[in-house]
Amino acid sequence: MTASVVPQLIVSGALMGLVYALVAYGFQLTYATSKSINFGQGELVMVSAFVSLTLTKLGLPYWLMVPGGLLFGVLLGLFVERAAVRLALEQKSEGWILLSIILGLFFFSAAENIWGRDDQPFPTPISSDAVHLFGISITPLEISVAVGVFAIMGLIELFKRTTLLGKAFEAVAADRDAAELMGVSATRTVMLSYGLSGLSAAVAGILVSPITTVGPTMASVLVLKAFSVAVVAGLESGFGVVLVGLFLGSLEGLTSFYIGSGWREAPGLMLLILALAVRPTGVFGKAVIRKV
Amino acid sequence: MVKRLILIHGAELLVLILLAAIPLLVTNTFVLGLLTLLAIYGILLIGLDVTVGYLGQVNLAQAAFLGLGAYTAGITVTFLGFGMVSALAASLLVGLLFGGLLSFPALRLEGPQFALSTLSFSALVATTLNEWESVTNGAQGLSLTRPPLFGFTLRAQGFYWLCLVFLALVWMAMRNLLGSQWGRAFEALRDSPIATDAMGIGTYRNKAAAFTFGSGLGGLAGGLYAFNFQYLQPHSFTYELMVILLLGVVLGGRKNLWGAFLGATLIVLLPNLLSNRSLFQIFSAIGFTIALLAGGRSFLRKTMKPFQALAPIVAMGLLVVVSVTVQNIEDLRRAIFALMLFSVVVGLPEGLMGFAARFLAKLFHVAPAPLAEPARLDAVLATKEHGGSGMLELKDLKRNFGGVRAVDGVSLVVRSGQVHGLIGPNGSGKSTLVNVISGLYAPSGGTILLRGEPLVTGSLYKAAHRGISRTFQNLQIFTELTALENVMVAMKDTYEKPLPLVLLGLSRGEERCAQSGALALLDLVGLKDEARTPAKDLPYGAQRFLEIARGLARKPDLLILDEPAAGLARPDVKTLVSIIRKIHDIGITTILIEHHMEVVSELCDVVTVLDGGLVIAEGRPEEVKRHPKVIAAYLGASA
Repeated sequence: MTASVVPQLIVSGALMGLVYALVAYGFQLTYATSKSINFGQGELVMVSAFVSLTLTKLGLPYWLMVPGGLLFGVLLGLFVERAAVRLALEQKSEGWILLSIILGLFFFSAAENIWGRDDQPFPTPISSDAVHLFGISITPLEISVAVGVFAIMGLIELFKRTTLLGKAFEAVAADRDAAELMGVSATRTVMLSYGLSGLSAAVAGILVSPITTVGPTMASVLVLKAFSVAVVAGLESGFGVVLVGLFLGSLEGLTSFYIGSGWREAPGLMLLILALAVRPTGVFGKAVIRKV
Repeated sequence: MVKRLILIHGAELLVLILLAAIPLLVTNTFVLGLLTLLAIYGILLIGLDVTVGYLGQVNLAQAAFLGLGAYTAGITVTFLGFGMVSALAASLLVGLLFGGLLSFPALRLEGPQFALSTLSFSALVATTLNEWESVTNGAQGLSLTRPPLFGFTLRAQGFYWLCLVFLALVWMAMRNLLGSQWGRAFEALRDSPIATDAMGIGTYRNKAAAFTFGSGLGGLAGGLYAFNFQYLQPHSFTYELMVILLLGVVLGGRKNLWGAFLGATLIVLLPNLLSNRSLFQIFSAIGFTIALLAGGRSFLRKTMKPFQALAPIVAMGLLVVVSVTVQNIEDLRRAIFALMLFSVVVGLPEGLMGFAARFLAKLFHVAPAPLAEPARLDAVLATKEHGGSGMLELKDLKRNFGGVRAVDGVSLVVRSGQVHGLIGPNGSGKSTLVNVISGLYAPSGGTILLRGEPLVTGSLYKAAHRGISRTFQNLQIFTELTALENVMVAMKDTYEKPLPLVLLGLSRGEERCAQSGALALLDLVGLKDEARTPAKDLPYGAQRFLEIARGLARKPDLLILDEPAAGLARPDVKTLVSIIRKIHDIGITTILIEHHMEVVSELCDVVTVLDGGLVIAEGRPEEVKRHPKVIAAYLGASA
């Protein structure tokens, strides 16, 4: 029995880990352009999922609901940039940390009052009947998560590498001042990165909700793990977050089985503190040279 | 002086007496409960203000420390039969211990990473309190009875007075600590950790101390919290409390004991405000009016960015809408906190007390405390012999960055008492060389000897303690400190009183001593009259001179000046030359990196020329200027 339980736990955990990786990828997008991250990113995932749920309940078919939910995610990302980040960046202060926490709290409270405190099921046309592969049961729904995560990350990376706007993004990430001097508007690029970050949050919400259900508290659970993934991997490596996400997800699956589901967050948190202590730039991050 | 003393300490005493007297006049258990909570939150917020205000970091762990302290008190009393004093001591210790442990990873971090590590710590604590059921009783909660204090059973009133005594003690200790070298160091390391290390103040040491201290206060407040409520639940110490605590510190005003107290008052009253709808309507209307008036004014006068002026109005307006339309405000508690906090962070970043302090100072014309008399310069900087013996010796020193050999085997001798020039084209390795000497970078090869003994390399702090001091090409002054404090914070051989004495306020003597020494150095660079000016408000040239005065406060054997004339106007260059000449007269060995050739020719005894990380020439200034390799390096002519 145990022989098949362990791989099963690892695979299911790893699939969840991909969702953490996607949320963590949202941190990386904004960190690249502005050295800031949205501490309320989890709430973006949650609110986008709720909006998508409402769209479904309004009778929209799944394939129309998805773009609607994604658009809302982008708008939320832009709102966070305008309300919490831009002023702090202009003042070169770290006020965005506090302000993005505040916005997250606001979204949480709003969601609680609009959609209620209970977890709700999220309908999806994708089947959740298990398929057996090499003795491991896996549902098409879970496979859709993996496909969705890789698809959106791949698309954004492709966008960054091939389009002119994407090159502007990379330029601001490399050197904000130099990019400004070359006529790239850093403010707009930061907006773009927050829009993309909101988009990835919405994708994560739509992908994960059919499995976990939608509720106001889904945010805090998700975002802590995403933080762990982002920090352990480093805030620069897209490839790194996927690897660390897979690892952390499977570790979590094993922990909740062998120690107890209440402790499932503990390894990630300890890993995060350890990683910060040993290698603040992350496993896949580059060491920084102090300049004076 | 007397007026200042009476006003400041009188106000403190008056509030303390008032607070202590209230239970004698009003016998209302509800009011007493609020007052007790006020004293406890006061201690908690003073602790939080150390990291949020002085270190300038977002600390999300204070609620967790409150929880740790509370559970420690609960568990030691329930299971181990501790008395009140020993249980409170245990709470304090647990706060200090975990604060110290967490500071190890957290102290290397800045900004978002620091916030993240404290956030993870809170989540870990919450998980543990919930899941370790055999000890904490999990989600069911832990009941305890308040143990007697030295044999006396404390009723609610007595316990309140005990909390008040603790608040007063913490208040005094904090005021002493923050008014001392420690407080200056906390602020300095927020402005420039590199300079804090280079000035031998020690970044990690102070950051860890500040965080540990604040966490200890969190633990102590937790112990009192446990004895106040006598029932503990894990979910009392989570995210929401943390946000409320931040609201308290930010709203009250950072870097201010009164601000922490005011913040504590507000967060104690907040739940009651939300339970009464009409009271809340009045409150939000007042808030909206203030935002409208203040924001509107600064919008019209363009003293603030439009967003900064208008966003609080929108947020407070939303609050009014909520107060009018929503029946059960409690449901929207978090959103209301968020709106209030948002308005304050954006519109009033200095908090209520920061705003009130300026106003009060104007109203009462409180003159700042008089400064000490400046010391004699030779009492601060003893004149050294111009011996000419080797002060610093570099042997085949190398530093690579990947494949770039920035310094590629430099050997040279700097003789004591001389001004040794270091010149070379851009990218020739001058700055890298002094960065290696001063310990910012570890060398890739070779040795550094100071007075013939090998120097521990790769540590600014250790190099500073061996007698190397420096200035920076890109200014690294402590912008939030005054000119005087900038020099005082770097003062060597002055602060020797151990921490307990500092907390008791027994370090005034060395403060005066540091002040008079620092004033002498400010006089040397011509900034004595600007002693009280915040460093960020000084003109550029004065900031450069201030950095030199700060470097001298280390009483260095070797002073490194990294392009001190860069960007200076012509009259300032003249002042600079006279300052360096004075330093030369005192006999302090100086390495001068400079591009202004007239400055170099005028001041330097010896000049070393670098190009491509190698020494290409060395000698007296006029010899070097005629050296063919030097001409080639600068003008590109083939030699």
